[in-house]
Formats: sequence, structure tokens, C-alpha cells
Amino acid sequence: MDNQFNRRDFLKLAGLLPISLSTPRLSRLLDTPSWIQEKPKNVIVVVFDAFSAHNISLYGYGRMTTPNIERLSKRAIVYHNHFAGGNFTTPGTASLLTGVLPWTHRAFVPNSEVAEPFASRNIFGAFQNHYRIAYTHNGWAYTLLRQFHKEIDELIAREKLLVGSFDTAIQKLFKNDDDIASVSWARNMRVNEDGFAYSLFLSHLYEDLQEKKIENFKALFPRGLPTTGSDNGFLVEQAVDYIADRLTSISQPFVGYFHFLPPHYPYRTSQEFYNTFNGDSFKPVEKPIDIFARRVSKNLLKKRKEYDEFILYCDKEFGRLYSYLESSGLLENTWLVLTSDHGEMFERGISGHSTDALYQPVVRIPLVIFEPSREVGMDVHTVTSAVDVLPTLTHLTGERMPDWTEGIILPPFASTDQIPDRNVYLLRANNNDQYAPVTMASTMLIRENYKLHYYFGYPEVSADGLVRLFDIESDPEEMVDLSQSKTGVASELLNELKAKLTEVNKPYR
Amino acid sequence: MVNFITQRYSRQGLWSLFLICAFPLHFWTLILVFRDISWLTERTNAWDAIGVASYGMVFAFIESVVIFLVVALLGLLMPKQWEYDRRIAFLGLLILLTSLWGIISQLLFLWNVFLPAQAIEFLRNSSHPLRIIYAACLMVVTPTILLPAYSFIRSKKAVTFMKNIMERLSLLTMFYLFFDLLGLIIVIIRNIN
Repeated sequence: MDNQFNRRDFLKLAGLLPISLSTPRLSRLLDTPSWIQEKPKNVIVVVFDAFSAHNISLYGYGRMTTPNIERLSKRAIVYHNHFAGGNFTTPGTASLLTGVLPWTHRAFVPNSEVAEPFASRNIFGAFQNHYRIAYTHNGWAYTLLRQFHKEIDELIAREKLLVGSFDTAIQKLFKNDDDIASVSWARNMRVNEDGFAYSLFLSHLYEDLQEKKIENFKALFPRGLPTTGSDNGFLVEQAVDYIADRLTSISQPFVGYFHFLPPHYPYRTSQEFYNTFNGDSFKPVEKPIDIFARRVSKNLLKKRKEYDEFILYCDKEFGRLYSYLESSGLLENTWLVLTSDHGEMFERGISGHSTDALYQPVVRIPLVIFEPSREVGMDVHTVTSAVDVLPTLTHLTGERMPDWTEGIILPPFASTDQIPDRNVYLLRANNNDQYAPVTMASTMLIRENYKLHYYFGYPEVSADGLVRLFDIESDPEEMVDLSQSKTGVASELLNELKAKLTEVNKPYR
Repeated sequence: MVNFITQRYSRQGLWSLFLICAFPLHFWTLILVFRDISWLTERTNAWDAIGVASYGMVFAFIESVVIFLVVALLGLLMPKQWEYDRRIAFLGLLILLTSLWGIISQLLFLWNVFLPAQAIEFLRNSSHPLRIIYAACLMVVTPTILLPAYSFIRSKKAVTFMKNIMERLSLLTMFYLFFDLLGLIIVIIRNIN
């Protein structure tokens, strides 16, 4: 037998090489969902800050605040019972980005960073094969993005999309304490915000300088240019244009995280929506003043109206971003997620979200997932959490599911419809030491239709804490506290929550 | 230039002028800081609230220096024959009166004091509402500046009275400057990390 391996044999075998190389990949595709079998998809997460599901017409609010989102959602998956991880920027954003709850990532103190392991265990670290790009107007969210910078290919500088002001100089001067320096600068210099400022003389000169800078925008924003809370103005239009432009230029697949500040306070809508809801027939449900309304807010109806009008501005800009992505063809290959970091409330004597109370408006947020090529909308009423977004996105794009996440794959993408008896938690512990057991906090546990509030460590509540129980399905406005009438459910959920707290406190004792 | 300044101010006089410039600015900053502190603690935490207050004190010090320089320069325009004490007392009076009006204008917002409805209606119907507001302000503010100024020209008692007030307020301002120093230390600590 001639064992000689000649040139012809070699060429014959070489022809088989491509098949042999692709075989392992093909076999992997056999048990993978159909949407992954194509080229890797992009992911865009759009966050509007302090965007309460309670005030969104898509979720049944009495004012038409989101006509564009409603129209677009007819081809999307809409989650009706979605909850944030915290009730202000730092814990809410950190939970969304890391896929774990505040007591795990530990960023529950204002403007704090997550615990060291989560500097890489986050959405950017999970998408190693994607180009990762991020932007935010929000200083506290930017603190987190800066912490994740090693995992981000392009972190767009926050100042880049702000209308220039002296605040930027203050941030550069006090770069290790930029947030508090900016707040103090605003309290010193921004006399127009409240009609008073620490500075008696220079504030007026400064205001004149600022006025000159934004003169061209004045007609467009009758309540003033939207600001980041200090004196940094911005336009969502500018941010949307810039981001849309970048997304068509960068390499694919990509993961984009874009966190816009509106409708966060100050509620400064554009001329187009100014006074849209003046004199309308909408009347919110009247509710009693809450124990945590430490300084009872006045003009709640006026603030709510201005907030609702600011939502219209967000809605329009989201619609514009969507149209841009659609017309550029990006949407055909992109999972687009619309959500928020926390809500906002205008009831029970409380305005905004800087509150220890955990009522629905401040914790229930929107989640809408736009699936590439989906033509028919879907409504999901299962209770879901912000920590579910990261594992779901990795699953949808064929990335490795993070082993650290506390979330689950969202329906309808999960193989099982839902995990029975699943608990959804939220924590607010902004006055607790970051790396100490949680001893003063507001916590929430939702299981099916029951929502338990548990407040402890506050001077307003007894040593045993304060417990409230609501059936959020039959009583979505949380008017009837069931903690005394349904003691069995209340104690079962409370015991479970306490056991969870004991478990998460263990490493810090 | 140095000679020109020393002909008009003594070193002690300039120090007194600086203290009287710093007094209303620090006084107002502290009032608002105490007003804000619980609000800030609720939204952030105690350390950050102290941080905001510390920056506030440092900014107040810087503003005091700026206002002092402006006032000292304005003082050079005053009659040459005025003695040191009269010049400093007069400038001190002007800065206190101006600050008082500055504080009153902000207090109106803090106390939610607004014009009565009839006055607003009248302004709305007038063809030049802003001019009317400015004229009304001038009519109220001008006498409060002119009358004390006139009394300084006519009477020595007014100068002595003002000097006494300045001495007492200076002591309080020294205390405020101590807060500035504390504020500066806290700002440095916060920026070292």
C-alpha cells in the first residue's frame, strides 16, 4: 500500500478544514434560541432618571404623558410591575448595572461607589465582546461609570454634553469632592433657583453671567434650561443627537448605556409642553400625610403638573432617538431597553424621591424592551426587578450569564414562565455606614400581589420597626394597610425579609 | 500707589473694614447653612452636609475679600480731608446698609412675601411694569442710604456710634473667621482622598 501523502490528498483534506472549524459552533447553535443564531446583537439601555411608572400614561396614568412611548410600545414588551433596586440614583443605577441588590453591591450611600468586586462585575464587564459606550448627565451615576471605566471602551465625559458653566471649573478644582463642591457652589451662587443664595452680592453678578450664556435657549425653556441640580444646563436634544451620531460610527456589536437626567427635578420642560396640563380635569387620589413627610411639601399639584409636562419632553426625545435608530437600520440588530433608576412622588406630603417612604410612585419604574423585528406588543404583569435586566440582556445576546447576578431572566425569554414565590426586594439605607450591618433602613419585599414595607432604625418608628402591608393588585394606590388584618401574610413576609437582612448583614458583623 | 492708599487708610482701619465687610456675608451664609443642614442630611448624609457648609464658609471668605477690595477702592474716591476713622465708619455703614437690603430682598422669598394682588394687577395693566418696580425700589432704598450719609457729614456723634458698632461686630466676625478656618480644613480633608 502506498502510504505516500501527496499534494492532491492534502488539498482534498484542506477542503474539509472550514467544515471542521465550524462544526463546534454549529452544534452549539442547535440548542440556542433563534435570535442568537444571527450575528451578535447590539444593546442600548436608555434610562430617564426619576421616571415613575405611576405618572406614565402607558401604565394607565390619568394624563397623556407618553404618547410616543405608547405608540412605539405596540411593538415591544411592556413590563407592568417592574421595580427599582433603590429609591434614588446611586443604589437604583448600581442595581441596574450590576444585577445585584444594594445590600450586595453596597452603593446605598449617596454618590458612593460599589464594593470593589463590582467594579468589573457589571453590564460592561459582562459584555466583553461588545464595544461598550456610556454617557450620563447625572453626577452620581457618573461616579459609578467612572468606577467602571476599565470595562468601558468609551465613557463620554459628562461635561461634553452640558451647556458650559463655572460649575465645570469647580468640579475640576475640587475633583475629589466634585459633587458636594458643586452643590455648595449652587447654594452659594444660584439665587434664581429659590430666590435666595448664601452669597449676597456675587450671586447676582454670577446670575447675570449665566443668563447671558443661556440667552439663546430662554425662549425654548420658559421655566429655565434643564440643569443637573447645580448650574450646569443641558439639552436632551443635544445628547440624543450626539449619541445617535456616535452609535452609527462605532463598531458593532456594541452595548450603550445612556442615562438622561430628565424628568428629574428641576422640572423644566420645553416651550412645546409648557402648561400643557393647565386646568385639565385630572385629579390624583387624595392620600393622608405620611410619617416620613418630615417637612410637608407644599404645591404638590403644581409640582406634579410640571413633572408630568417634563415627562412629555422625555417622551418626545425618546421618540426621536427611536426614529433615528430605526431609520439608520440599527434597530434591526439591536435590543433597546427603556427604563429608569427610581421613581418620583407627589403625594402624602412628600415631593420628589428623597424620602424614606417606599410607596409605589417612588419604587415602580418603567421597563420596555424593544426586540429586533418584533411586530406585536406583549404585556408582562409578573413582578420584576431592575436586577433582572443584566442577566436577561446577556441571555438575549448569547453572552455568558454572569454568575454573580441576583436577577433572573425575564419572561417571556426565560424557559420557565416565572419562579414561584419569587421575592423582589428594594433597600434604602442612605444614612447607614456603607460597610456595616444595615441598622437604619427602609426595605420592601414584594411577593405576587403583596407588598411589605419595613422601616427600622428611624427616630419616627418604634424599636420593632414599622410594618405596612398592601395588596398592590387590588389596591395599587396603597390606601388600605393590611398589616393588622392579614397578620399571617404580614408576619410570613416580615420573617422572610428579616432573615434576608440577617443573611446580608453577616459579612459585615 | 502704596503712598496713595496709606494716605487714606491705616492698617488697623483696613482690618476693621475687612471685618465689617465679612460680617454680613458670613452672618447670612450661616443662617442659610443652618436652615439647609437638615434638608441636606436627609438627602445625603451628615458628613456631606458638613461639606456643603464648609464650602459655603470658604466661599463666604472669598466673597468677603472681593467685596473688601471693591469697597476699599471706592473709599479712595471719598474726600481727602476726611480722617481715617470717619472714612472707615462711613464705608462700614454703606456696606451694612447694602447688605441689609440684600438680605431683605432674599428674605421676601424665604418668607413667601409677595406683592398684594391689587399691586400685581396694577403692574400688569401698566405699560412699563419694570420701570415702576425699579422706581419704587429706588424711592424706598435711596433715603435709607442718603440720610445716614448726610448725618455722617453733619455730626461727629454718628461717626462715634458707627465706630462702636463696628468694634462689637468685629469681635463676632473674628469668630466667623474661625469657622472659615474650620471649613477650609474640612474642604482640604475632603479633597485629599
